[in-house]
Amino acid sequence: MTTFLAAQTPGLTHWIVLSGVLFAIGVYGLLTRRNAIGVLMSIELMLNSAALNFVVFNHFRAPAGVDGQIMAIFVIAVAAAEAVIAMAIFVAIYRRRGTLDVTSMDALKD
Amino acid sequence: MIQAAVYTLLFYLFGGATIALALVTVLNRRMLRAVMGLMGVLAMSACFYIMLSAEFLAGVQILVYVGGIVVLMVFAIMLTQTVDVLVEVPHWSRRALAGAAALALLLAVAGLGAGVPLEAPAGAGIPEDNTVAIGKALMDYGPRGYVLPFEIISLLLLAAAIGGIVVARKTAPEDQPLTSGGDLADEGLLQTAHTQRDEEAWVPES
Repeated sequence: MTTFLAAQTPGLTHWIVLSGVLFAIGVYGLLTRRNAIGVLMSIELMLNSAALNFVVFNHFRAPAGVDGQIMAIFVIAVAAAEAVIAMAIFVAIYRRRGTLDVTSMDALKD
Repeated sequence: MIQAAVYTLLFYLFGGATIALALVTVLNRRMLRAVMGLMGVLAMSACFYIMLSAEFLAGVQILVYVGGIVVLMVFAIMLTQTVDVLVEVPHWSRRALAGAAALALLLAVAGLGAGVPLEAPAGAGIPEDNTVAIGKALMDYGPRGYVLPFEIISLLLLAAAIGGIVVARKTAPEDQPLTSGGDLADEGLLQTAHTQRDEEAWVPES
């Protein structure tokens, strides 16, 4: 059992499949959620899987440098800024409209 | 060898948990439970970073995502919670379309990546002192350094903080245009309220 598990150590492909599945789940949530906070949560899911991908490639393909990790740090920082702005907008919209349903926010359409 | 076996076991354990929690995040009808699922996904990602020997990044992930963004989302959900706590189930056609789109994306990426040689070079693994290397690279102003993006990110965060305050503060009431004039109106209301209260307090004495 131990030898079998030790021989099955996850490689680059396993990690990429994992982050790809997470990204696809994020896309599904992005397209189905009607609550704006739910949409933002799906986007965070996708950003997180992209950051994971950076670190995975850094670990397996360019282990001498840390460029992938630095990219992941920048992704996290941008995600934080985005979340702050999005939450402020949501609170302002809710105060004005009383709902966060993204299908009803079509004031810019016509 | 036992180490490699435990590593494999942890990968599949955390991977399964992450996918389950991600599904909770996108499928649960209660927003607070969904945000707890997102918190689980982000914490699991920190575990993945440790498994990929990126310990500093794991700490950043916990501090910024779990400690900051998730708390912010919980606050936003609490502030915008309506009487109908349950989020409406989306129409089946929308769900089918979204599922098809997600699956198509996954398959397209898999098809594109199938031709790329993905074998790891021998002796892979980030060196032990990668936290030191990150610090040095962030402060390095040479051709391979990251000091300019680092400064731009700090500027972005400052702008986001100011923008968040400006957007979320009290604005005009329903019947007035959404401009900064609303704040003046609010102050005017505040002032009349004060004078009224003062007058009421004044009347019994005289």
